[in-house]
Amino acid sequence: MKQQAAALPLQGASDIWRSRVRSAGVQAAVLLAPFVLYGLFLLANGVNPWTLYVSMIRSTFGDLYGLGEVLLKATPIILTGLAAALPAKAGLVNVGGEGQLAIGALFSTWFAVFYLDQMSAWVGIPLMLLAGALGGAVWAGITAALKVSGRLNETITSLLLNYVAAYTVSFFVHGLLKDPESFNWPFSPEISPALRLPILDGTRLHIGFAVAIAFAAVVWFVLAKTRVGFRIRVLGSNRLAAERAGFNINRTYVAVLLAGGVLAGIAGMIEIAGIEGRLRPETGADYGYLGFLAAMMAWNHPVRLIATGFLLGMISVAGNTLEIGSGLPSSSVHILMGLVLFFILGSRRQKEG
Amino acid sequence: MIADILTGALRSGTSVMLASQGELVSERAGVINLGTEGAMLAGALGGFAVTVWTGNPWLGVLAGGFCGMLIAAIHAFLVLTCGANQLATGLTIMFFAIGLTSFFGREFVSQRIVGFNPVPIPLLSDIPFVGGILFNHDPLTYLSIALVPCLWYALFRKRLGVILRAAGEREEVLFASGINPKLVRYLAVLAGGCLAGVGGVQLSVAFTHSWVENMTQGRGVVAVALVIFASWKPARAMLGAYLFGAAQALQLTVQQMGWPISTFFLFMVPYLLTLAALLVVERRKQSVTPEALGKVLAGDTGG
Repeated sequence: MKQQAAALPLQGASDIWRSRVRSAGVQAAVLLAPFVLYGLFLLANGVNPWTLYVSMIRSTFGDLYGLGEVLLKATPIILTGLAAALPAKAGLVNVGGEGQLAIGALFSTWFAVFYLDQMSAWVGIPLMLLAGALGGAVWAGITAALKVSGRLNETITSLLLNYVAAYTVSFFVHGLLKDPESFNWPFSPEISPALRLPILDGTRLHIGFAVAIAFAAVVWFVLAKTRVGFRIRVLGSNRLAAERAGFNINRTYVAVLLAGGVLAGIAGMIEIAGIEGRLRPETGADYGYLGFLAAMMAWNHPVRLIATGFLLGMISVAGNTLEIGSGLPSSSVHILMGLVLFFILGSRRQKEG
Repeated sequence: MIADILTGALRSGTSVMLASQGELVSERAGVINLGTEGAMLAGALGGFAVTVWTGNPWLGVLAGGFCGMLIAAIHAFLVLTCGANQLATGLTIMFFAIGLTSFFGREFVSQRIVGFNPVPIPLLSDIPFVGGILFNHDPLTYLSIALVPCLWYALFRKRLGVILRAAGEREEVLFASGINPKLVRYLAVLAGGCLAGVGGVQLSVAFTHSWVENMTQGRGVVAVALVIFASWKPARAMLGAYLFGAAQALQLTVQQMGWPISTFFLFMVPYLLTLAALLVVERRKQSVTPEALGKVLAGDTGG
């Protein structure tokens, strides 16, 4: 990057334009190559990749319902993606979105079932959202506290805490939060219908998608246009410079981790109020990791994240199609995601210098 | 009851122990590999599959080690050749391996194998209390116990160990003495993946005698955490792994005794214990972190 910057002023405008086109070409190739490889993998396992990709696109853009399904999947992915991208801008690798989402879902269900049952939508839904945000923040707060006062690496602690969060949710839905009428199935009672998010006719799509987009815009604005955002970016790109400039590094770390937790917790609340209506042990499973991947794919850029979240949403929906249509397990979609990320990770160096 | 827990600590801790020794080798050379989880899964499936096909668990061990090495090779290539972020790459490998193993593992889910079984050591296993705990295990467990002092000797008393540790501390020194540090790191990561794979084999072929989707349940992640907890010392990593194993064994004991403790709390204990152990140790050390690794953990990855 340094060398490039020094060389650029000497080049003519057409050269700059050409190098931009080339880097766009490289980026496109990086995004396409894994799909080709995965296609070969499918071919080797007796599935025609072309029909799969076509049906993937057709089911997404063919009708309103299909598009709604993809957007439904994209919503929590975008939010947990923001939960990874915002700390990443400050140089942290937060993989705790998974656990933060789960605890956010737990808190919001708890409040919805025990305190907000009689409330109208106008009061209840915002309160439930706050509860979810609180849950995510509490869980992220553990990682942040361990990072700042215990000097523990946030990647490892947030990853370990994901397992703890999953067992915490299981504990509650098997015990204190279990539906008394569930005949021993582990799930919570259903939340009051007034607390469900409004739904778009003809789909299952709810208002949560708009919320996710709005948060992506907010995060973009904060990062790009405010002083706080500038400090976060400085810290992420050069910790030493931030130290020398007298920024309070620990406070920034705590702030971005907590903000990430809030976003992931809201994703959990949206899953409950938008789709599920009750908490199950596997509510929102994998979305945290998918969000992390989406953030990686978007180079942690909040607006690009909307696109990558959409893409991953498409792939997840396709995973279901794959399972129904060709008998491949839906987990094989993980392979595609892994391939996509390998190419992105491997190509990044050329981009950064 | 205590004997049960201690025996269980060895039985269920060995897979984590092997993986953590492998991770230790790789981290000493300056590469942290969260893909250990993936290498364990690949090893568990590869070892199980070959044991099903051939009926010979030792071939399974070879295959599992090889599968683990293949997974680690992806990490080594992306991190060392392409300069990718180590933590993110490791995580990606974890997902990739979960997908890959659950795809190829479908047909093995309900298979049954003979695998490795406990082989009591004559005489020694007759010692009351201690004999049952230490000398009544599967062959892989014995081997893994023997591995720890060997690894310590190689790391701290042999030229090989000096080269390995120099790669993690000061690669300029290696350059100066005509050794390619990148090659050393490659080999260290591959060796680490191999050991993690063998750890996976211990899990599927010796401990549970079955293959289940995503059966490692974060053991690889715990192994990585344990290495940090152990201040990069083989014996301490072994201790930590057995502590994890003991926490797992405690679940069974509590269930058998019918104590009124929620099983979900018990499931959490190993992870919480790992976190607590990390916290205690991290407070009083920093200088022992291999220098190249310190940069990765602090987030100063320049590539």
